Amino acid sequence: MPELKLKGVTVVDTFAEAFPMVGTRIIITAPTLEWALIAARTMTGFATSVIAAGAEAGIERTLSADETLDGRPGVAVLIFTMDTNKLQTQLRNRVGQCVLTSPGSACFAGLEGEKKLKLGASLRFFGDGWQMSKRVGGRRFWRIPVMDGEFVCEATTGLTKKAVGGGNLLVLGKSHAAVLAACERAVRVIDDVPEVITPFPGGIVRSGSKVGSKYKGQIASTNDAYCPTLKAAVKTALPLDVEAVLEIVIDGLTKESIAKAMRAGMHAIADGGAEQGITHITAGNYGGNLGPHHFHLKEIIA
Amino acid sequence: MSALTFELKGKPDQRLDLSPLIPAKLNDLKPKDIEALAIGTTRVKLSVGDAFKVKGNDAGSLRFVGTDGRCDKIGAGLTEGEIVVEGDAGAYLGDAMKGGKIEVKGGAGVLAGASMSGGSITIAGDAGERAAGIAVGETLGMRGGQLTINGNAGPLLGERMRRGFVIVGGNAGDYAGGRMVAGTILFKRGVGRYAGFGLRRGSLIFIEAPKDLLPTFCDCGVMEFDYLRILDRWLRTTGQHVGLGDRARRLMGDMAALGKGEMLIVA
Repeated sequence: MPELKLKGVTVVDTFAEAFPMVGTRIIITAPTLEWALIAARTMTGFATSVIAAGAEAGIERTLSADETLDGRPGVAVLIFTMDTNKLQTQLRNRVGQCVLTSPGSACFAGLEGEKKLKLGASLRFFGDGWQMSKRVGGRRFWRIPVMDGEFVCEATTGLTKKAVGGGNLLVLGKSHAAVLAACERAVRVIDDVPEVITPFPGGIVRSGSKVGSKYKGQIASTNDAYCPTLKAAVKTALPLDVEAVLEIVIDGLTKESIAKAMRAGMHAIADGGAEQGITHITAGNYGGNLGPHHFHLKEIIA
Repeated sequence: MSALTFELKGKPDQRLDLSPLIPAKLNDLKPKDIEALAIGTTRVKLSVGDAFKVKGNDAGSLRFVGTDGRCDKIGAGLTEGEIVVEGDAGAYLGDAMKGGKIEVKGGAGVLAGASMSGGSITIAGDAGERAAGIAVGETLGMRGGQLTINGNAGPLLGERMRRGFVIVGGNAGDYAGGRMVAGTILFKRGVGRYAGFGLRRGSLIFIEAPKDLLPTFCDCGVMEFDYLRILDRWLRTTGQHVGLGDRARRLMGDMAALGKGEMLIVA
């Protein structure tokens, strides 16, 4: 089979294996975009991987004043977990600790859906009996008295069970700087794709993992096949001249949005990548038996 | 299909009970059966055919033409569909309605939207006393939906209201929002005496400060309310430019009752 090249970068004939997740979107508004971003970044901090962070979350996009319910600048946040109960707990804790606490903030549903998650409906108890429920245009809001006025929070937000987590791209290159620069380019274009987030630091993860370990109780461990320092000792996936590998993990509300994000990411990586020393774009999978969603790189860029 | 139209022939010599004329009750009836429905309120029998000229065939969309203040219970118990009243409506307009839409081009009598729980009523003219108040046999007033009165509202507007939204374009009478349990009333102009009498919860929003305030309402000062922004933007999507802004004086009361209600006087 002929090797597939994208602007001189080899696209490995493999697929990203992704999993079903439950997810939701909320809208955070504030007196300024800067404060909406502060609340959103705080709420989505330490939300890189469900392995130990409880949830995967990130900022989807910013919203202008005329796109929000209260006419103030806002931020759309996506949050994902493996099941509904965990999502409910994570949402309550994160909004309660990071958005309710943030000066001038308000919080609204960002997703419709028959199934609902409680938002203000659980945070209202902070009001200690002084909270007020208000219905406006068929939507219910809680007004919770706080020291800078009122925290307005919609009662519920919609839930989707069709979310997908773990869409990914692995970037191989001849220098750490080149791989990092290529991944930064990819994250920037993926930022513009609706319905997706890249939950890792700056959207990039350097410690890709495999399932299991030699140690009992360690559920995930380093992906040795992609560690450049272990090329000589393990069944490596890396050519000798590859010095670094970085991964971009993508979670999305739909599988179509993930495919779009991966496509945009691959083109951004390949753009000028070969000259800088990017050699391969590949993807992580577990043989195809674990996750029901397979994103074949060849089909995505076709 | 054209709206099923009831045109009042003359002035009947009794008040009319038009509660049988709602889409849910007319859907399966033939024109002959509709004309035979009894709408009298005295011992002298009166049918739809006696009082109205009936035209059209779409029972999901009703029109009353030439009605006056003695045509009671228009849209009472409405659950779906649309009613347009080209004239005045009598007492109990949309009484205990659960859904659907009523539009009155004239005024309405007493107890318009009493104990309604859903849907919307728009009255172009004035509404009588106890609009959004307590229907006969009920313990609570309006429980949901929206009532828009573009003219003046009589006394006891929204008495013991539990939920829902009322907006008054003109002046409201005495005891507006009296004994309210919850819900929201927006006053674009003045109110009479004793507004918020016995208010437990709920919001009375004023564009003009009320002339007389009950002494049992206590001042919290002026501050920003994101709620007003949300309300204002939503009203704009329904075509009403009220200009609520985002600052208001908040008074809590009625301290002689539960005292968790509020007056927001737009600043």
